[in-house]
Parts: sequence; structure tokens; C-alpha cells
Amino acid sequence: MSRLSTLALIVANALIPIAILIFASGFFPYKPFLSGLAEYEALDYGSVPEAPFDKVIFMVVDALRSDFVYSNVSGFDFTQSLITNGAAVPFTAHATSPTITMPRVKAVTTGSIPSFLDVILNFAESDTTSSLASQDTWLAQMKAKKSGNMIMYGDDTWLKLFPGFFDRADGTSSFFVSDFTEVDNNVTRHIPDELKNNDWNTMIMHYLGLDHIGHKTGPRGPNMIPKQREMDGIVRQIFESMEAEKHLQSTLLVLCGDHGMNDAGNHGGSAPGETSPALVFISPKLKPISQGFEVPAPYQEDFQYYRVVEQSDVVPTLGALLGFPAPRNNLGAFIPDFLPLWNKSTDKVQILLRNARQIVTIITAAFPSFGGEGPSEHCATLGASIDELSCEWRSINKGLDGLNDGKQSEEWLVAITKWLKRAQELMSSTASNYDIPKLVAGQVASIFALALALFAASPMVLKSFGNSLPILVITLSYGIMMFASSYVEEEQHFWYWTTSAWLMLLLLKCNRKKTISSGFLAISTVVILIVTRIARRWNQTGQKFAGEPDIGRTFLSEHRNLLWTLVVSTYLWNLQSLASRGFPRFQKLVAVMFATGLASIAITFKLAFTNEDSPELLVGVAKMMADNEIGVSLVMRARTVFVSIAICLLYSLGTGLGQRGPRNNTMKTIHDLLTLFLITQSRATNIPLLLLFEIQSYLLNNLDLTLIEAATTSLLLQYMSFFAFGGSNAISSIDLSSAYNGVSGYNVVAVGILTFISNWCGPVFWASAINLILLRLRMRGEKRVLFQYIAVHTMFVACSLLFVMVACTMLRTHLFIWTVFSPKYLYSMAWSLGQHLLINIGLTSLLHWLGGKYMA
Amino acid sequence: MSSSGAKAQSSAAKLSLPVELLPSEVARIFTHIHPVLLLSAYYARFHSLVADPVHTLLSGILPLAITQILYAVLCLPATGSDKRPTLKKKLNAPKKVSSDNNLVSKVFTVFFALVLSLLSTPVLAAVQVLFGAPITTHLLHTLLGSAHIALLAAFPLIYVHGSDSAKWREIASAYSPADEIFGGSVGCLVGAWLGAVPIPLDWDREWQKWPVTIVTGAYMGYVAGKLIGGRLLKGKRIEFD
Repeated sequence: MSRLSTLALIVANALIPIAILIFASGFFPYKPFLSGLAEYEALDYGSVPEAPFDKVIFMVVDALRSDFVYSNVSGFDFTQSLITNGAAVPFTAHATSPTITMPRVKAVTTGSIPSFLDVILNFAESDTTSSLASQDTWLAQMKAKKSGNMIMYGDDTWLKLFPGFFDRADGTSSFFVSDFTEVDNNVTRHIPDELKNNDWNTMIMHYLGLDHIGHKTGPRGPNMIPKQREMDGIVRQIFESMEAEKHLQSTLLVLCGDHGMNDAGNHGGSAPGETSPALVFISPKLKPISQGFEVPAPYQEDFQYYRVVEQSDVVPTLGALLGFPAPRNNLGAFIPDFLPLWNKSTDKVQILLRNARQIVTIITAAFPSFGGEGPSEHCATLGASIDELSCEWRSINKGLDGLNDGKQSEEWLVAITKWLKRAQELMSSTASNYDIPKLVAGQVASIFALALALFAASPMVLKSFGNSLPILVITLSYGIMMFASSYVEEEQHFWYWTTSAWLMLLLLKCNRKKTISSGFLAISTVVILIVTRIARRWNQTGQKFAGEPDIGRTFLSEHRNLLWTLVVSTYLWNLQSLASRGFPRFQKLVAVMFATGLASIAITFKLAFTNEDSPELLVGVAKMMADNEIGVSLVMRARTVFVSIAICLLYSLGTGLGQRGPRNNTMKTIHDLLTLFLITQSRATNIPLLLLFEIQSYLLNNLDLTLIEAATTSLLLQYMSFFAFGGSNAISSIDLSSAYNGVSGYNVVAVGILTFISNWCGPVFWASAINLILLRLRMRGEKRVLFQYIAVHTMFVACSLLFVMVACTMLRTHLFIWTVFSPKYLYSMAWSLGQHLLINIGLTSLLHWLGGKYMA
Repeated sequence: MSSSGAKAQSSAAKLSLPVELLPSEVARIFTHIHPVLLLSAYYARFHSLVADPVHTLLSGILPLAITQILYAVLCLPATGSDKRPTLKKKLNAPKKVSSDNNLVSKVFTVFFALVLSLLSTPVLAAVQVLFGAPITTHLLHTLLGSAHIALLAAFPLIYVHGSDSAKWREIASAYSPADEIFGGSVGCLVGAWLGAVPIPLDWDREWQKWPVTIVTGAYMGYVAGKLIGGRLLKGKRIEFD
């Protein structure tokens, strides 16, 4: 029986990743792309239209929201004057969610709509599938023209996306968002020389400073307008050179943002502010076709200033303006405002027709039925949108015969422009792309996982049904909650609400058992509940109230002395615990010295890191210490911390074997060292939370929990702490600030692990803390402790996964599918694969096994 | 394990019995009118509660207090009056207790229970804050809501059990046998807790605002708990295992 249930549990856990992968491959289909470079195909309209421009300067200002350039509170005075006199043509370029840099750069270079999968790849950038080296982009087209070099200055995302593409490049990385100036000066210093150079045809600049200011101080921060003036100055510098220098007279300057930002200065989601970056085409040559626009533009609440185009529309537009065919995977539509640049009506027809034919090849790849025989009139009656599109395409082709220069041609141009937009809409709507059999297969796999997990957990559940009832109810209600978008967005409320009640229940039970004195219990009750309440308020998270004042980000950044007192207390708590138990072979004094040394290495790193990452938090002694630091690089410091922790860990593992028995403290020391590592991976304002959790775990340790209580507590506190640390189900809440600690180059594995640890800091802490309780239960003679603990967790994970999958499938046409449910699925993946399989099973089993060695 | 089992058995002998209502016709009738009265009054004031919670909750305290006092005086055995033998007395000597004496002690008990309920209000508010009530805003809302919960949940308990410390220890670990009073109190608290569920939904309705749903949950939970405790599960105890 026990063998059978062990087997069931193993199979259940093996099924979890399988179910996740099958479902993900159906839900985020890998879009097949057409390979090879596009070439001009022969058409009956004479030669390819002559391109008005031969060089392009592509200036990306990260997070340049439309109103930063167009509204009346803008630092872009010079650009606005160009818009008035017609030398600049303004647009709002709609960016699709996820609004983070890499997928946006992909959209604006390939013209395609990047799949949601790119979000994951954005965090694993060296993945070759995310590289654009092998894809057709406008950069590849410009390179293929061989009319000049490619140069690039700014965000090194471009260097990762286009390895080996650029002849001259200087990449900057955005390690520290507190850096407002250095990242931009690194770009600007190259401009004067490059403007004199005549050897390039493409210059890309990507400024990060404005995005950093947004993240730090929001869109109305004090540094925002000066930064906009600085960017405006660069536009002026380039524009004046374009007027003065002969070799630049046919240069096109494109000023754009890759995405916008919301009112808190963050991005990633699909709020109007995040999806509305500015897009300006600038050249003296545009004056003849533009009468100028009114600036500053009247206030737009939804940031939709001037004509709204898709970001991908930049690609075919650049193609026509610079003279190359639209890249093969392009879904962008030529922006018709630029048609007057060509006089001959055949040129205009040709430009749009080439654009449309290129898109038709993609449509045909996706819908083989497209373009066959059929009606070409009364298209709206056809029902299915793909048939409608096909019908209209036939009608457009018909109209092509006997097209003349007059009004008829104008009408045809309007018709094809409309058709392009409709084709674009159809192809970017993802509804048609779900692979339903795979979605179902994923769900079936998770049903099996759930059934097996239930089978494995059933003896325990049946033996003490009353005790297991809370976890069963929590599991089921959590699953049901996945169908309501607001509960997914505000998931923290569920965990806070259940955790408070569960802790209360736990204390009531303890009161009945009468195993500890009622005085101590009363104090524990009050302290545990107060600590939980403080942790709840530490970081405002979710969607609706994410920007509201809280303890960590608002209160403590105003009371910085208190912040550092709490941070130091956290280190001291850890220090005293290590010193009193950590080095049993040495004398007390030596042990204290070791622990102090370790803590000081860790705390000086934290100070130096905070000095770079958020210098505004430093004050008083902390600031003095950070300022006086000698110039050891942060990478070195972080490595020193990690190596010191590792040495202490190895030492403890080695010496611990000396005196085995139930009083061996090695497991507690391992927990303390892990906690120190977690502290190192947390933002300064979150470090005190670990102190709160230490207090909680100390008190819970005395409550004499049973196995099922420990498992339930572990699950609840893991989720609760994740949200208390500021986590949520939104992509924009992923904290990357500690992801590069001790990593100098680009190392996917290291960065991945560090990112996970720094975002799942609370859950990892609780996995380790509850393991100490599990070990005590095991020492007391309880059987199959680890098995039952894992069975409870597997049951929850399998059930929640199943419900998330069902919700994503049923709501796949829901308005919020890409903004709420898809991110939730990604988070479920991280919870199941990372927290469940690696931490709750992997780490806990390892620690449990070690504990068995030391304490038996 | 065996030793703790023995302990449980020995303490089981001392466990209390569920509270019986007063053996009068009035008591039997009013205990049915009481929940109807509470719910219909609540229903009548609901719109006003949504529109102006502070004022409505404040003006509702006195009527609620009167209802609860009536309920206590008419239906419940006051603390100190001998509870257990009532049944026997009814059979043997129905009119033995001096009614004057009884009235004075009832008035005193009502007063005593009211004062203690008042004192428990800030404690209940603190518990609400620990469970997630806003602390920097809406304090008055929380306090007034707690006053209602105190009158619903605490007042009858205090009126019946007074300062019987053994009984209160049982109540504190939720191990009191189910009866109308204990059931109502547990129902009231659980209802208030469940009342928080609709708050995060993005329906943007006025009634989702603090503390409307909590108070609603408390009233509905109280009535449900009173019925369940007094009828369905009378005498049963909440077992966690």
C-alpha cells in the first residue's frame, strides 16, 4: 500500500511539468515564421518606387509615452516646433501587451506581433530562438543593401537580439534603475562623431534614462522634464546636422518609445499609458507633405494623440521610405500619411500592393483556404472573418485591372488601406491560434496528477478528516477563484484572509490542547496576528491599489533611520542565531567573531548595493558607511557574500556529523545561512519582513503543530509571504534588481535562479522554516512525514493548476485573457515548477534527508 | 497519546451543558420573533447603511440594544440564576422564585452585560484590524460595526454566563456546547469574516465599501448561527479533529 502510494505521488509530480508544457504549447503557440530575406517580386507596375531616404537614425527613448512629447507639459519644445512646421509627423504607436522592451523591439523591427512566450524569453535573453539574427527584419534589409555600416548605441537588448549585426556598437545595460545620467551619456557622447561619419546607413540609439526616472519617481517626477529637454536637445542636434551636412540630407530620423508607462511609472501590462508610446518621423524633406499639426495637442485621457498606428506599421513604412521590401513576417501596414511623397499613382499602388501581397503570404500560411475561388461582392454577408477578408482581397485584385490616375485610383488606395488594417487585426487577434487538443491534453494530464495526488494523500485525509478540512476547502476555493479576473488580480486578499483565519484556528486548537501555558499562548496569539497584519501592509500589491501608500515603499522611505534600524536588527537576529549555534567546535568568542564577520560582509554588500540601486534610501550612518566604501565592485562583493555563506555551509555540514543526535543544531544553522542568503537577495525595504517571519516561525515552532497543520501552515504562509514581498500576478511586479548579484557576464542559469530566489524569497524561507517543524515531528517518531507533507502540497498544486488551465481555456475569448489570465498561467508555472518541484520537493527532501543524518 | 486521551476524558466530565431558554410561553415565541425582527430591521436600514454607514450604524445601536435586551430578558436565563434544575423546578414547583428579586437581578445583569459589551467593542475592533480592517482610515466605521457585533455576539453570552471563568475558557477555545447563544456568537463572527469576500471584486458597487458587507455578514451569520446552534446541532461541540 505505502509503495503504491509513493509511486502514485512520484507519477503525480512527474505529470505536473508534463501537463504544464503541453498546455503551454497549445496556449502560447510558437508562431512559425517564414525564414529568409524578403526580395522585391516582379510586378507589372514598372520599377520599384524610388526611396526618398537613404539613411535612418532610429532613436528609441525607453518608455517615451505619447504625452511626454505632445502635451503641454513636455520638455520637447524643439520637436514640437518641428511638428508645427511640418518637418516632423507625429503618431501614437500602439504597443501590444506585454509592454516590456524586448518584445517591443521585436515588434518594431520584424513587424510581427511577438508571441506571449517572448515574455519568458525576455528573462532568458540568450535563448537562441529569441534572437533575431536569423529572422527577416528591417535591420537585416538595411544590412543587405550594403550601402553603409550599421551602428548601435544604447540598451544592449539590441546587441543580444542582433548578435554580430553591428559594425560599431556600445551597449549599456540597465542594472541600476537609479542611474539617470550615465546610461544616456554613454549614448550621447558618440553622436557628434557619428554625425560627421559618412560610412553608415543605419544608426540605432536606445536611451534608458527616461524609463529609469519613470520607475523611480513616476511620470511626474522632478527629473522627468529635464530629461525630456535633454532628449529634445539630441533631436535638435541631429536635425541641425541633417540641415547642414550634405551627406545627411536624405536621412530620416525616427524618434519613438518602445512602450509607455502607467501612473506609477511601471510598465508590462496593458493600461492605456503603457501601450501608447510616441512615434515621430523627422526630416526637412517631410515639410512638403505635411501642413503641420497643432501642438501642444489637446489633452487625451487615453494618451491617443494624433493618428494611432500599430508599432509594427513602422516596418513597412521604413521599407518604402528607405527602399527595401517589407520583411517576410511583417504584419504592419504602410502608414498612408506618407503616400504623397510619391507623385506617380502607380508608385502609390505599388507600395500598398507589395505590402498587401506580403501579408497575404502570411495569411495563406496560417489559413490555407485563403485566396481560393469565391465571391468578390457583398463580403459582409459571409460570416467568418477570414472568408470576408478573402472576398475583399479578390475584390481589390479585381479593381486593380484598368486602374487609372483619377478618382478611381484614390478609391482603390482607400480600399486597400482599409483591407491592410483588417488583415492586421485578424492576424494579430490570437483567438484562432489556440491548439485546443493540446489544451485539453494538458488538462487531462493535470486531472490525472490531481487524482494520483488525492490517492496518495487519502489515507492521511481519511484518518483525520476534520484536520484536513481547511486545506481541502482552501484548495477548492482557490481553484474556483481563478475564474474571476478581479480575484486573480487581487489574489493577495485571498491569502491574507485565509491566513489570518487559519492562524486564529491554529491558536484556538492549541488553546484546547493545553500543551503550552496559557499566558505564553496569549502573547503568541497577539504577536503572530500583529506580525501577519504588518506583513500584509508591507507592500501594496495587486492591481487596483498597487500605488497606495504602504509600509515598505512609502513609510520607510520617509523614515529611513527606522528602516536601517530594522534592517540591522534583521542581520543581528541572524547573527545571534548563528553565533549561538553555528560553530560548535569553536569557543563562544571565536564563534561570535565568525558570525560577525559573515554578517558584516553581507551588510556592507547591502549598503553598497543600495547606494547604487536606490541611493535615496541611505541616510545618516548608513550613508556615511556607503560613501566611505573603497572601490570594490558590487559583483566582487556579492560573490564574497555568496562564497562566505557557502564556506560556512560546508563547514557546518562537515562538523555537524561529529555529534549526531536530536540536539544537533546543524539544521537550524543551515536554515540561518539560507536566511542570510535570502536577505542578500531582498531589497533593503523588504529585509525587515524576514525579521517578522523569523519571529512568526519562532512562535509557531512552540505551538506543537501536527503534520497536517504544519503542511497547511506552510502552504498558506508561502503564498502570503510572496504577496507581502510585493509579488502579484502581473508581469510588471517581477523584481529584477537582485537578479544580477555576483553575475558579471550573462549567465542564464545564474540569473534565472537569482531572479526566482529574489521574487520567491518569502516562500523559500517558509519552506525551510517549516522543514524544522517537520524534522521535529520525525524525531518524535511520526511515520512518513516527508511523504505526507509533499502529498498535501502536490494535491494543492495539481488542483490549482487544473483550475487555472480550465479558466484559461474557458475564458480564452475574454477581454482580459492576455492581461490577467495569461500572466496568471505564467505565475502558476513558476509556482509549480519552481516553488513546488524545486523548493517544496527538492530542497525540502534534501534538508529532510540531511536532518535524518544529523539528528538520528 | 494515551495520556492526553485520558485527560480529555476527565475534563469531559466537567464540561458544561447547553443553555436552555426560559420555560415560558413568551420565551418560546419571542425567540422566533427575534431573528425576524433583526433581519427586517436590517433590511429596512440597508440603503441608508450603504449611503451613510457611520450615521446609520450609530442610530442603529439603540434599537439593536433594546432588541437584544428584550431577547435576553424574555428568553434567556440570567447569570447567577440556577440554570440546570429549571426543568425539574418546572415540574415540581413552578412559582418558587420571588419575582421581585428576579427582576432586580435581571436589571442588574442587563446593565452589567451592556457595560461589558461596550468594553468589548474596542477589542472586537482590534480583532477586525488584525484580520485586515483598515487602520489608518475608517476607524469610526470599524468601531461602530464592532459595537453591533458586540451587541449581537457578546451581550447574550455575558448576560447568560456572567463571569463564569470555566465557561469562558470553554468559549475561548470554541468548545462550548452549541446552543442559541453560542451558535449565534460563532455565526456572527464567522459571518463577519465571510463578509469580506465580495470586497475585492471589481463591480464598483457602493455596498462593497467598508464595513457594509462585514455588518451584513455579522447579522446574517448571527441569525443562521442562532438557528443552527439552537435547533440543528444543539448540544454538539465544534471538533477540529
